[in-house]
Amino acid sequence: MFSEELKSFRRLGFRHLLLQCLNFASVIASGLMLWKGLGLITNTESPIVVVLSGSMEPAFYRGDLLFLTNPAHERYHTGDITVYQVPGAAIPIVHRVLETHDMPATVASVDPTTPARQYLLTKGDNNNADDLALYNGLRFLERGHVVGKVRGFLPYVGYVTIAMNDFPQLKYALLGGLGLMALIQRE
Amino acid sequence: MHNLLSRVNNISAFLSSCMMCLMGAVALSSLLYTADPKGTLTIKSASIKENEIRYYHRKQEMGFVGFKIDADLTPLFHWNTKQLFVWLEAEYTGSDGVTNEVAVWDRIVRRKEDAYLKVNGRQQYPIKDMQKTFNGVPAFNFTLKYNLMPHVGLLTYGEAARADGIPYNSTSRHI
Repeated sequence: MFSEELKSFRRLGFRHLLLQCLNFASVIASGLMLWKGLGLITNTESPIVVVLSGSMEPAFYRGDLLFLTNPAHERYHTGDITVYQVPGAAIPIVHRVLETHDMPATVASVDPTTPARQYLLTKGDNNNADDLALYNGLRFLERGHVVGKVRGFLPYVGYVTIAMNDFPQLKYALLGGLGLMALIQRE
Repeated sequence: MHNLLSRVNNISAFLSSCMMCLMGAVALSSLLYTADPKGTLTIKSASIKENEIRYYHRKQEMGFVGFKIDADLTPLFHWNTKQLFVWLEAEYTGSDGVTNEVAVWDRIVRRKEDAYLKVNGRQQYPIKDMQKTFNGVPAFNFTLKYNLMPHVGLLTYGEAARADGIPYNSTSRHI
């Protein structure tokens, strides 16, 4: 199956191999640029996240893909679904806002573009109690802990990454396969 | 050129782009469908009692509420509705100037048959102020809100009913 490819690989030589490496690198670089650019527009460090737990069932299941935005001038409301990460937590959590407490704007910080300081309490739809026990000793969440607000939803697609996490061999096989294809393709 | 691998590759690429187009069409078309159902919300009782929060081992005032909801949310169920998240929100401004929005009750509606809400209920989550007391709070505004969660696409929000300016019953206040 690969004898033909190998033959052409010999014929094309070292320069071709270098060109393919360059192509591969530019694909990776443009992917990274797209991701970071999306992050800049939506103002979050990770604009797309995969649901990892069942605490928002039946709304979100493991492997669903969520699209986040986090406009700096917008306050959070009850019912918003936020992704947050408190200091010391290993993974971000996707839960719904149950309470918001907006501090009054102090005279010193009257700037119409920045919203007043806001305290949040969240809860998973599928959990019985609010998230107080998950906050590592904090009483409320603040804007700094919130990665973003869920705006869009795409089911199942993120399961690929969960599968790759659960079975690392799959990840290596996929990466190796892609790299090999990029090197031996004649285009 | 025409080996098995390239055929599998072509077919899966074609299928996945068809799938993407279909899902895009479903997501976009459901944005054109706008329903804004309204219902009625009656606050039957609102009281304040001092209670203990187990997590902190301390006592503080909590707000309790009894309410009646009559809202037909069936128009919100269309081809791209996975479920509705409906909640009752209490909004008030404390004597310290803090604006508070607190969910007191919520429900997940998964079927169109269950979307005509006739609820005669009480709060699931007692209202707790950051100051531990509701002294100086003039009144509470209650709002019934919903979040439409799609099979694919954008999440949308709306308001189905309001009851404004509900004073808390001070006779049930025993401090």
